Amino acid sequence: MEQIYKRNNAKNFIFLSLFFFIIYLCFLYLGIDFYRFFSALGNFGKLIANRYYPVDIPYALEPGYLASILDSIQMGYLGLIIGVIVASILAYLAAANLTPSKRIGYPIGKFLIIFARSIHETIWTILFVTIVGFGMLAGTMALTMYCIGFFGKLFSEELENVDMKLVDTMRSNGANEMQVFAYGVWPQVKTAFTGILIYTWDVCFRASTIIGFFGAGGMGWYLKRNVLQLEYARTSAIILSIIVLVIFSEALSAYMRDKIYKETQ
Amino acid sequence: MSGYNLGVEDYTKQNSSKILKKIIFYTIAILVIFLSVYFIIILDTDWHRIGSGEGILKQLSYFVGLDFKIMPYLIKPAFETFLMACLGTMLGLIMSLPVAWLGAKNVTPLGMASFSFARMLMTISRSVHEIIWALIFVGAVGLGALPGILALAFRSVGFISKIISESIEGADKKPIEAIRAAGGSGFDVMYYGIIPQILPTVIGTIIFEWDINIRRSAVMGLVGAGGLGLAFFRQMHMSNYPGVTTVIMFIVGLILIGEVLSHYLRKRII
Repeated sequence: MEQIYKRNNAKNFIFLSLFFFIIYLCFLYLGIDFYRFFSALGNFGKLIANRYYPVDIPYALEPGYLASILDSIQMGYLGLIIGVIVASILAYLAAANLTPSKRIGYPIGKFLIIFARSIHETIWTILFVTIVGFGMLAGTMALTMYCIGFFGKLFSEELENVDMKLVDTMRSNGANEMQVFAYGVWPQVKTAFTGILIYTWDVCFRASTIIGFFGAGGMGWYLKRNVLQLEYARTSAIILSIIVLVIFSEALSAYMRDKIYKETQ
Repeated sequence: MSGYNLGVEDYTKQNSSKILKKIIFYTIAILVIFLSVYFIIILDTDWHRIGSGEGILKQLSYFVGLDFKIMPYLIKPAFETFLMACLGTMLGLIMSLPVAWLGAKNVTPLGMASFSFARMLMTISRSVHEIIWALIFVGAVGLGALPGILALAFRSVGFISKIISESIEGADKKPIEAIRAAGGSGFDVMYYGIIPQILPTVIGTIIFEWDINIRRSAVMGLVGAGGLGLAFFRQMHMSNYPGVTTVIMFIVGLILIGEVLSHYLRKRII
């Protein structure tokens, strides 16, 4: 018994020291000073206390800024609507059990969803800003791509869990693709679709608050301006307002999802 | 039960009022959408710049092609991005352990006070976007990979600690009570009673968060932390559009590797 305990301890020791050595190598590779690393939290606290602390709340209540919040919200749901329409088609193609053509449609749908998902929303924003110029059109397009990735993945997973018996029965009775979808698949995924839709809206709104930082309009633009002008008090007011709005949207989406799940059960 | 006694007329009346409500709802929704399309897209866009679609096609054509010359210079940033995600997730895990301990209702030491404090920390961590965290940390500790790691860690704390504290709350009470009855201290309860139960969930969560963190660490460079984001930023500002495409290909490749790895790891563990 004692031997096992000892051996285990030695093994653990070797494992731990190897682990710390690897982390040390990583730090060396990334060129991080250990002094800087350990003083980071102190610096963070100092920065918050000295620069960000007297929050300039009146700035966040100015009409220009409030209008930009409205812009962000509108951008969020416009991107959501277009994105969800496209993503539903792509998800139908990318669901392995329902896809109309396994050879062509399935890989295309899967690839497009993964591609839209793997590029971060800020990079989409930068790309669309270079293509269509500054403004909210670029932001809406970026959010559309973001929604395609996010919604498409969740919804195609949901479609893959559909009960296939009903679908097979309908197909063997000669229903066409539209009928199969309308009467066989849709009633099964309706609740999940609404739930995912609301969740996507929540996430999309969260993204829409920040994409203005890279040239799309909305609150992010105000954030960028104040960051560049080193107006710390205003920056902290904007960050605070973003936190409040995100908490509000999160609570709203949780409440609505709860209500829908209760209604259907 | 009165629903069964409704006549046909009552039923149609009820139905028609429902349909009317639906029609009103959808009309308002469509009106709102058209209004925001008008204000957000039609009024706000510089249509002169876009032209007749030709400008967009021309701009898009710049992006076609790969710049092979910058590829050797992208391997180091790609590796840096990957390491940043790993270290950030690890640091986030370390920081989220105490938060999760405070935020679980059944083990929190000071009752409602520490519980709500931990919940507040989680909400703040989750609701601040990673770009904002990176901005704050670039201001606090300077440029380089370090602010990226810290930003990823702070961003992951909310999600990881929320999942851990929820699984602590859902842990089976019998072994915990047995350890307590046998005279185990609080630490013993944690170490022998709770941790073995929640370990699989926690590891799955960490792998999931790591996968997301790779995605996030690829954009940290846009605001001054290192990695592929910085390379993207540079290529974009040099207007080297094929180079931009190359960097994006690197990002997609890195994320695909991360996705495959996380899928494989999760399958092996769970």
